[in-house]
Amino acid sequence: MTLAPERPRYDPAVDAEFPPPNLGRSVHVIGPVVNVHPDETPHPKVRRGEMGKVLFDYGRNTISPDPLARTNSTRCRDKGNVFTDVLRRAPAGRINPTKTEVPDPAAMSRHIKNVGRYLGADIVGIGRSHPALLYAGGTLRDTGFVVEGEAGPSESPAELCRKYPYVIVTPVAWDYELAQAHRHHIGDAAYDTTLMQTVLVLTALEFYIRELGYTALRGKVNPQAAALAGGVGELGRNGLIITEKFGARIHLSDAILTDLPLEPNQPIDLGVDDFCKVCRKCAETCPTNSISFDANKQVFNGVEKYKIKWETCYKLRPLVTEHWQICLTCSTVCPYTKPNVWWRTLAVETLRNTPHLLRPAVVKSLKWLDDRVWGKVANKRVRWLGYDSGVRPGVKACTVAGCTAQHDAGGHPVDVPMADIGYYAPLKENVNRFVKR
Amino acid sequence: MADRDPYWESFINRPPADPNNLITHALKQVRPGGVNPVRTEVHSPNVMSRHVKELAQFYGADQVGIVSLASGQFGVVCVLQADYDTRTATGIGGQTPAMKGLFAIYTLGSYIRELGYNAVHSETDRERLAAAAGLGSVDAAGRLVTRKFGARCHVADVLLTDLPLAADGRA
Repeated sequence: MTLAPERPRYDPAVDAEFPPPNLGRSVHVIGPVVNVHPDETPHPKVRRGEMGKVLFDYGRNTISPDPLARTNSTRCRDKGNVFTDVLRRAPAGRINPTKTEVPDPAAMSRHIKNVGRYLGADIVGIGRSHPALLYAGGTLRDTGFVVEGEAGPSESPAELCRKYPYVIVTPVAWDYELAQAHRHHIGDAAYDTTLMQTVLVLTALEFYIRELGYTALRGKVNPQAAALAGGVGELGRNGLIITEKFGARIHLSDAILTDLPLEPNQPIDLGVDDFCKVCRKCAETCPTNSISFDANKQVFNGVEKYKIKWETCYKLRPLVTEHWQICLTCSTVCPYTKPNVWWRTLAVETLRNTPHLLRPAVVKSLKWLDDRVWGKVANKRVRWLGYDSGVRPGVKACTVAGCTAQHDAGGHPVDVPMADIGYYAPLKENVNRFVKR
Repeated sequence: MADRDPYWESFINRPPADPNNLITHALKQVRPGGVNPVRTEVHSPNVMSRHVKELAQFYGADQVGIVSLASGQFGVVCVLQADYDTRTATGIGGQTPAMKGLFAIYTLGSYIRELGYNAVHSETDRERLAAAAGLGSVDAAGRLVTRKFGARCHVADVLLTDLPLAADGRA
């Protein structure tokens, strides 16, 4: 990895002021961490054309043939129609000069959690900030493609952490049933909408913290690291934060860095670390082989975790953009991604209360159960809003029962096989014979 | 909530010192996007109004009605449950239903504009149009009273569109 030499870095051996952060069992900071600049993250790289012309076109000037995808994502006809863009153009208020006194940070933490949930978040996580979790400088904006404002040398990550000791994340979970139609416009809609909702909640909370008289900074912290520190979940093999109630189907989008006095949560233990060591369901179903099969975690940039190959993951998008945008297979097949009901709570609680030594046995039986009941890949047919995940993409089909409208020739599904599976059965491309499983 | 949370009262009722810290206020200063010049083939008015209603609920509205206007346009009215009256509770918390309603209206408007039809939102006569769409009736104080939420509801801005829809009522 080549990074610019002037990037700030966090070295646990040198920076005695900040001991290594506690991020739970799934991620450990074990060596020097070079802070990543937002410019080096996937979306800006694609936007600048560093990932090739195809991805450049995808990031810049693709218009989706599907109206719902045009509404929810940046592949729209007019960028002004994207809600995150509308929100970004809205004026931001100033910090209230009269500060609200906070004698009890625990009460304020409870309040912020109530506020976050009232505004629409499904989980509110509060963590302690740490230089290793921060970007090197600049601000990553909500659309994900824009990086603004190179912060001056005085605003190093360590400096920011001293001034703003807390991070807040407010993820929104996307719909379980709709996400069963991943690799389809239906799954895309569920995913894209939660992005807009999360950004709305984050912005409203940011404005509210300003109203309380404190600073709230956006686009400064890696949201996944903030979610780990804030006890939202654990990092899985698929590179996604796996939460207690929703599994991997949450949209983090961003985190708030603030000086509002709060009481941070502790990282949680859901047994994700033990499960991912055995399961590999996401790695087996990934259409691009971007997820590691290795039993052990990798050390990347001083952080021990499961590392996904985001380049190959991203390169799938322009190839399929006519039919769908976000693959989401790794999230959907994850055994933790299930409806939030009692048997799910029972399974997670069982795993959590098992001693670490006995966990592999429990994990194997839970994995077996998951394969038997839910199948190796999601194959549920979803009908929503006139879309039907059982209809092959590109096939023009009117799926409305009793439709009497006059369409062009081929309007109705005459020769579409209406078998009870979606078209997203395992892709041939995934059969990589050179990978030992 | 207020008895356990000492800050809840001001979250709901204290108006922000800077009005731009209220998302509803900030959002209304932004001009929405343009209409897609290439029209997408749409379904029959019956089916499209079903889709529009389902989509509005997906984006966060609790009840949706469609009213046909004298101008030949259609108005899409979204009603959201509101624990606090959005007319009197002027804090960021009190205005949360308004924020969620505006989100539903903005995204639904984007959908219609991306289909290639006009969609603008307007504040005027929201309650009357909601009543005309059959969502409830207007009481003496000018508030909408619905069967499901009573007076504890917020009527979001009306989305005016020329997308062919099947109306629930006539204004």
